[in-house]
Amino acid sequence: MGQQVLNAIFIGSIYALFAVGYTLVFGVLDILNLAHSAVFMLGAAITYSLVVNYHQSFAVACVLGIGACAVMGLVIEYVCLRPLRRRRAPPIAALISTIGLALIIVAAVEQGRPGSAFAWLWVDGANSVRFPPDMIPNPTWHVDGLTLEATKVVIVPITLVLMLVLGYVIRFTQFGRGLRAVAENPRAASLMGLDVDRMIVLTVVLSSALGGVAGILFGLALSDISPYIGRDSLEIRGLAVIVLGGMGSIPGAVAGGYLLGLIEVLALVVFGSNVRAGVAFAALFLMLVLRPQGLFGAQLRERL
Amino acid sequence: MKRDRVILGLLAAIVLAACGTTSTSGGGGPSYAGKTIKLGAILSITGAGGVYGPQSRDGMKLAVDQINKAGGVNGATIDLTVNDDASLKAQSAQLAQTMIQQDLDLALLGPTLSNSAVGVHPLAESLKTPILAVSTTGIHIVPDCNFPAAAACKYVFRDSLGEQTAIPDNIKSYAADKHPSTGVLLVAQDDKFSSDGGKIVQDTVGQYGINLLAVIKFSKAESDLSPYVTQAVQKKPDVIFITSLGGIPAKIMSEARKLGWTGQFLGGNGFNTATVSKQAGADGMGARSASAWYIGNTFASNADFVNAYKAAYGKDPDQFSAQGYTAIKIIADSAKRANLTFSDLAGDRDKLRAAMETVKIDSPLGPFQFTADHDVKQTVWIIQMDGQGGFTLLHEIPAS
Amino acid sequence: MDFILQLLTDPVGFYSTHTLLIAEIGINSMLAASMFVVLYSGQLSLAAPGFMAIGAYTSVLMGNYWNTPLALNLLVGTLLAGVVGLIVGLPVLRLRGVFLAIATIGFIEALSLGVILNVPITGEGLGLKNPSADPLGGINIVLGSLAVIVFLMWRLTKGRLGHAWEAIRQDELAALSQGINIARYKMIGFVISALVAGYAGGLESHLNFFVDPTEYGVPRTVQVLTFAVLGGSGNVFGPVVGALFLTTLPEIVRVPNFDYRDVIAGAILIVVIVFRPQGIVGRGGLAIVRPRWWPRTSRASSPG
Repeated sequence: MGQQVLNAIFIGSIYALFAVGYTLVFGVLDILNLAHSAVFMLGAAITYSLVVNYHQSFAVACVLGIGACAVMGLVIEYVCLRPLRRRRAPPIAALISTIGLALIIVAAVEQGRPGSAFAWLWVDGANSVRFPPDMIPNPTWHVDGLTLEATKVVIVPITLVLMLVLGYVIRFTQFGRGLRAVAENPRAASLMGLDVDRMIVLTVVLSSALGGVAGILFGLALSDISPYIGRDSLEIRGLAVIVLGGMGSIPGAVAGGYLLGLIEVLALVVFGSNVRAGVAFAALFLMLVLRPQGLFGAQLRERL
Repeated sequence: MKRDRVILGLLAAIVLAACGTTSTSGGGGPSYAGKTIKLGAILSITGAGGVYGPQSRDGMKLAVDQINKAGGVNGATIDLTVNDDASLKAQSAQLAQTMIQQDLDLALLGPTLSNSAVGVHPLAESLKTPILAVSTTGIHIVPDCNFPAAAACKYVFRDSLGEQTAIPDNIKSYAADKHPSTGVLLVAQDDKFSSDGGKIVQDTVGQYGINLLAVIKFSKAESDLSPYVTQAVQKKPDVIFITSLGGIPAKIMSEARKLGWTGQFLGGNGFNTATVSKQAGADGMGARSASAWYIGNTFASNADFVNAYKAAYGKDPDQFSAQGYTAIKIIADSAKRANLTFSDLAGDRDKLRAAMETVKIDSPLGPFQFTADHDVKQTVWIIQMDGQGGFTLLHEIPAS
Repeated sequence: MDFILQLLTDPVGFYSTHTLLIAEIGINSMLAASMFVVLYSGQLSLAAPGFMAIGAYTSVLMGNYWNTPLALNLLVGTLLAGVVGLIVGLPVLRLRGVFLAIATIGFIEALSLGVILNVPITGEGLGLKNPSADPLGGINIVLGSLAVIVFLMWRLTKGRLGHAWEAIRQDELAALSQGINIARYKMIGFVISALVAGYAGGLESHLNFFVDPTEYGVPRTVQVLTFAVLGGSGNVFGPVVGALFLTTLPEIVRVPNFDYRDVIAGAILIVVIVFRPQGIVGRGGLAIVRPRWWPRTSRASSPG
């Protein structure tokens, strides 16, 4: 049982990190960025390719991988989001354009084979791979009947540190204040002289970079990197997390991540079989019906 | 005069007989010179099935090239079109229809995934077109493609060793070697391949004295399998059965080893590719499965295939390439003997079907024939992962 | 490309060799129509695949176990989907915008993962075999039903229901002040959408030899949403056009030895929505997810 709780904590951290990116963009733009899961995957895939195909060290690969995700954030903003804002398009259109970008990213990686047009990006096609086991030291400790693996253990402090830094930035820096102003009321913020567009760019870039970090940690801890890691399980779980925690709330995303991890593992232990994911969504459904603003979200203005 | 008529008759007979025999190249059948044998393959090149489709395609294309360069099938060239079904069963079925009714292919190959086959095979059967499955190993593929209807499908064949044969052979051979007493089954319940394999495991283990302590189901899309593996390991079984494919076996193996479990992994066809062995690495060492093909076999029909494949593509073949290659050889051999007219498509399809039933060739899989149920009749190779991305051969189980 | 040539030069031949594709277009159009109803009334409900599943499983199970005729099976499946729609709608329709969307996602995933995969009679993960399927012959029913459904919807939107829905979509507060019973009209729209989706699901299962439990989750709902948004949901023909376009797109871009169809599809998606955010058939009316900065001009029907 203790081992299962540990499992919940580790996967919960990854859910949290992933969801923070989602919730940042939703908080500021009121848009669900459905390309986020593809960027998550891209972070893992590019880092893997750099290590295995280009023989870089893990540290260098991580920096470049996260950088590539940040660049992808620029693409999301300039290609998928800004043109729609300029045309005063209904926000639902942004769902479609980000879906389109996600499709391109996943397909590009999936078609990465020796000899294909995307071989510079990835050569393993639709296969699932893992980082070379000896890439970084990864000792396993057995304590009290529990098994602790270094790459999994390290996720928790990394997640918490990142969240604390993010929290500090949002609460105490000028950038953070600007962000909150735009999230509150972009019209007023722009009237007060804030460069709203620039704030948005930075938000999306930051969110994508965080997604990339989550992807790398995921690939490392779960020994699974494939074109489908974002789409298959993380994407909808990310949604569940931000609903549970409250949309637009960063502490909410963190709390929601751990909560979801715990609910899933408890469901497995109690019901014994794969009711796990179904229970997660039942929980989400209940939360929405009973307390739509989630654990930490502000009271909804949209309810009549 | 009577005698003249007899002599004329004899002369005519001799002339006819001579005409009949001069134009064949290598054994039996009229000349197809100048004709084209149109074949269509429905494979998953994109989507989740894209881990298998490209290899099947490469194996097929190699065979087609080799045959065409050596003079074709009795002089006819093979024209193979490969279409991608994106791992979607709707596209798979649509492709089947257009290839049969519009492209007028003589026979079809594929589709890659069992989920697609469930729709495509009955369609081919109802349109009376021979279809040869090259990678589907689940149950109810042959002969009962219209399960639960019991009537056998006449036009559906497969050259991919089914799990119904592979899994029991693997369990039997391991039980004879090591006499395990307990096991746990981990099965992806939303994956037909894995579920079929799981069912076979459950039906078989009792016969070999293995007590199945638990059947743990998970969802194939889940990336984090640690809670399930934890559950499995906590029961302390001798054997863990893994019937999944793709990235899942390696993940389960590495989790289990990290938790300190030292028992035996037994699997199905999902273990049989170098990708899986490489991903599992040292954690997979000793994991056993029954395979339709082993790269290290030295008999000519395999050695030649492996060398030609490496020369053409710059990489090693795998089980799917071997089965794709064999499939073309099966069809080519059958076409040779089928007395095709090239003017009556329906009749030709039926003749090809009949000829396929009696095929008997040497292939990279070993000597190959079909059973009465159009299923595979070949040697089964018991292999184990060597911990370094490859396999070693443990046992050979000849076809019964 | 051969695809289009054949269509233009030999339509009859094209029809008879592409019945499966045309049937798929028909089913997708029905789903798009189901989506149209909820979008038109301002509800971002993503529940269609769940109702499809209900229609499909009910219809096939009845046929398998009781040997009842197809018409009866479809009727019962459809009605059951409607009833479930009523039950699900009650708690869920109080939610607005993205929250409704996520709640409906929770519903379909909980149905898929929690119910279908764990109730033995559905065949669980193995899916359900449908021996009485008729893929080639079913097309007549599909096209006939589609015509009826589209006609009915078109009439509905011209009538009192349609006007009420449009008022609700534009501005709920104003509609309420005009005396429109919002809850009732929303529920009517939701249930109609459930009925149509249930019927489409049942009919689809008649065309396939196999009901696949994995086809009723988020990817399916994203696909149906894309039909509606890309086509434009100002009137019922928009989503139908969207369905037609997107279902045939993989065939249009099918080129021998070219494996990058999805990349092209994603790019086309982005281009179409950016240059025509109101959809192909257009005429806006998609401002159903209102972020705080969306201009609240109650008379405007299209942002342009």
